[in-house]
Amino acid sequence: MEYTREIYWNIGQGAAVLVPMYVLALIALVLFVYGFYRRLPVYRQGQALDRSDQRSTRLNLVLRGILLQTRVLRERAPGIAHALFFWGFALLFIGTVLIFIQADITDPLFDIRFLSGSFYLFYSLALDLAGLTAIGMLLALLYRRVIIRPPGLDSSFQDGLIHALLLIILITGFVIEGARMAVTELGTPLAWWSPVGLVFAKGLAAFDETTLRSLHSSIWWLHLLLALAFIILIPLTKLRHLVTTGVNYFFTDLGPKGLLPAVDLDNEEAEQFGAAQIKDLTWKDIYDADACTSCKRCQDRCPAWATEKPLSPMKIVHQLGEVAFQTPEAQLAATLERDAVWACTTCLACQQSCPASIEHVRKLVDVRRHLVLMEGEFPGDEVMSAMENTEVNGNPLGYAFAAREDWADDLNLSEDPEDPADILYFVGCYAAFDKRNQAVARAFVHLCRAAGVKVSILGKQEKCCGEPMRKMGNEYLYQTLAADNIETIKASSAQQIVTTCPHCFNTLSKDYRQLGLDVPVRHYTDFLAELLHQGRLPLTADAVDCTYHDSCYLGRHNDIYQSPRALLAAAGGRLTEMTRHGDESFCCGAGGGRILAEEHLGSRISDTRVSMAGETGAPLLVSSCPFCLTMFEDGIKSLDKSGSLKAQDLAELLAQRLPTTQQGANP
Amino acid sequence: MKKLLVCIKQVPDMESRFKVNTDGTWYEETDLAWRMNEYDEYAVEQAVQLKEQLGEAELTVLCIGPDRVKETIKKALAMGADRGVHMTDNESHLRDPLAIASMIADFARQQDFELIFTGMQSQDRGSAQVGVLVAELLGIPALTTLVEFAYDQGTITAKRELEGGSRALVSCSTPALVTCQLGLNRPRYPTLPNIMKAKKKELASLPVTDLKLPPAQLKTAAMAPPPKRGSARILEGDTGDVAAQLAAVIKEKM
Repeated sequence: MEYTREIYWNIGQGAAVLVPMYVLALIALVLFVYGFYRRLPVYRQGQALDRSDQRSTRLNLVLRGILLQTRVLRERAPGIAHALFFWGFALLFIGTVLIFIQADITDPLFDIRFLSGSFYLFYSLALDLAGLTAIGMLLALLYRRVIIRPPGLDSSFQDGLIHALLLIILITGFVIEGARMAVTELGTPLAWWSPVGLVFAKGLAAFDETTLRSLHSSIWWLHLLLALAFIILIPLTKLRHLVTTGVNYFFTDLGPKGLLPAVDLDNEEAEQFGAAQIKDLTWKDIYDADACTSCKRCQDRCPAWATEKPLSPMKIVHQLGEVAFQTPEAQLAATLERDAVWACTTCLACQQSCPASIEHVRKLVDVRRHLVLMEGEFPGDEVMSAMENTEVNGNPLGYAFAAREDWADDLNLSEDPEDPADILYFVGCYAAFDKRNQAVARAFVHLCRAAGVKVSILGKQEKCCGEPMRKMGNEYLYQTLAADNIETIKASSAQQIVTTCPHCFNTLSKDYRQLGLDVPVRHYTDFLAELLHQGRLPLTADAVDCTYHDSCYLGRHNDIYQSPRALLAAAGGRLTEMTRHGDESFCCGAGGGRILAEEHLGSRISDTRVSMAGETGAPLLVSSCPFCLTMFEDGIKSLDKSGSLKAQDLAELLAQRLPTTQQGANP
Repeated sequence: MKKLLVCIKQVPDMESRFKVNTDGTWYEETDLAWRMNEYDEYAVEQAVQLKEQLGEAELTVLCIGPDRVKETIKKALAMGADRGVHMTDNESHLRDPLAIASMIADFARQQDFELIFTGMQSQDRGSAQVGVLVAELLGIPALTTLVEFAYDQGTITAKRELEGGSRALVSCSTPALVTCQLGLNRPRYPTLPNIMKAKKKELASLPVTDLKLPPAQLKTAAMAPPPKRGSARILEGDTGDVAAQLAAVIKEKM
């Protein structure tokens, strides 16, 4: 016997069925397309941005993102539930399309019926299991939303409607199958290939055939109408992410990671810098709002949100969507609220975790650019003073520029044209001026010398790299500093630059590329790890219990996680990781130019992070960023933990493990 | 249209490393970072605010000194002054307050300024005389060390800061000169469009040799950094330890 089933069983394939069915389907499809089409002009309010290069990479991201659910699966439990639901629902959709192809195209036109034989058995089983999985996962997600209620997962009428609709569509599908099987398949071996339908069939077996047939036909029409309603609702509700999120994978920022777009300051026509209104952002920034699924993963990881500040990256994205669609004339700084705009540390945890490839940080920096460049506004007077100090002395701390090389007075690091150095050490303001961080600079130089690497510095000519200024929105000051530094570096004999500060590293290696610097730049952890690997770094391991903090601009912004850990291991560090480490690391609070600002709102981010370090029980908190070190020294003091926890830069820990003859040696 | 004048000075940043020059009369210029005299920033801000209040007004910014002071004039232009005047003078640091005041007064006399703003004093020389001398030479009233300022139809109402934190409410009619003190206002951070516009604003250079200067009333005899005073010492250790150290210090000093 040939395994198959009659496709329009009990419904019939006459005009009385096909005409209303296809008319309704066509209406649904038109509404679906129109629903999206009418959103296009809203996206077009934004500025131009090219996201159509590297198409194969982009298509690959789309396919992996949708089919493999790669970004969704980054958060395990809800990710798995979503992915299984998606795969189940997708299989059911494919199954329905196959029916359409056979019943209304290949069979009537070419007399081809492929839903038969062993393929039909497989098809029937797969769809039954897909439906069961989809129902199971939908219930699991509903349980999470309604019973577990994770903080921040707000439910609206829309969420209820979507869950109910999907659940009813899936269940009515099984009722239709069950009613048909109760009449045609019960007792045949074919029934076993529709195990879920079989359960429904057995449940309905008590009814007589007439009842079953009328039940089947009415539920069939209900199922059809609900499915069409679902299609119409896609562009009108959060369901639009079925389309928009997948498309947003195509528009992903392909990097360099976290790099802000440069502002053309020489453009004399420009009257607006930064984003005052929605039209000043790009179309992608508006589109991002449509791609958002409100999964709140960004909010869960935001250090500002975690310390009771008025910033939620998710809320920012929602608000921008509301402005774009409802009040396009609104002033963004006022709508988003200044305190929220200034609270961002640009730690990138939001973007790293976003399953929809939304770029939160550049939106906030664009609004900051407007506030600084057009209004002369800062989050506080201390930030304005830091800007003015930098204009005058090239550092935000306000020290005399002539004192920049004092820390190296006895180290003889000036450039020697006769004997060029192996590396140019771009010291950065904190290592150059801040007492605590000067120890790190010295430690780094000693490590280099122990490995036989000759180091030079730019001395008084070095200026702040401009990173905090740029992230605070002061693009003009940043570009001025960058131009001066690039000129100085180009005039030197530098072939390779190494920094101890991840912010300098990120800025010189990415941002300065936009302005013409092409000398290779490395962070010291990467540089020393390579020397270690080559056997050039004479470390003597000395066991120490510690935890390691991944600074945002080393980790998430530059994916350097292994080098510091390799160095730590070679030094005898016994590492106890904090729960939040690697790309889930929690910011120290100083990124995004916040190092220049007082933290008046909520609790202190640095205290929160120091507490996390304390929870490991390790007595030593190692990091490799001067901002982090500064914040941790503050946090340890303010939490009164100096008895149980010390903060150290990795360079210091390593330098203590050099042979004693080379500790502090000056060749 | 009312004409306003603000007089500014470029001074070294006070965090700079000062070294006495070889003559022993002023500081060496190497390794110095330059900026606008802090009190002059209050003067520029107040002048710009008044200009904005008047709507129709022209604000001139005047600065005396070598070529490098143009940068500071540009900052005032970016803050909102309309035109800059640079009196080119490489010897300005050697001149006494009366000479500087005469140069400003000679310039101002040719114009018809409703109000002249200056800082209360300069951060480097700190004589606090130039403003009042200009007013005297022009024969107009001067209100000094202002911490509050209001202007209405030719009348200035202002508060002066006095010793011990008290304030005097004063008023006079224009033309007049005011000198500005810390607390008067918060100088604005120039916006980018204004920085761009400032680059295109008129910046005239006047050679200083054309002016007749009065004979010097003051001469710097010598200059030296203040003698180092004893610095604080922090005693560390547990209470008993600190007490013992303290006792030792007291014994030693007695």
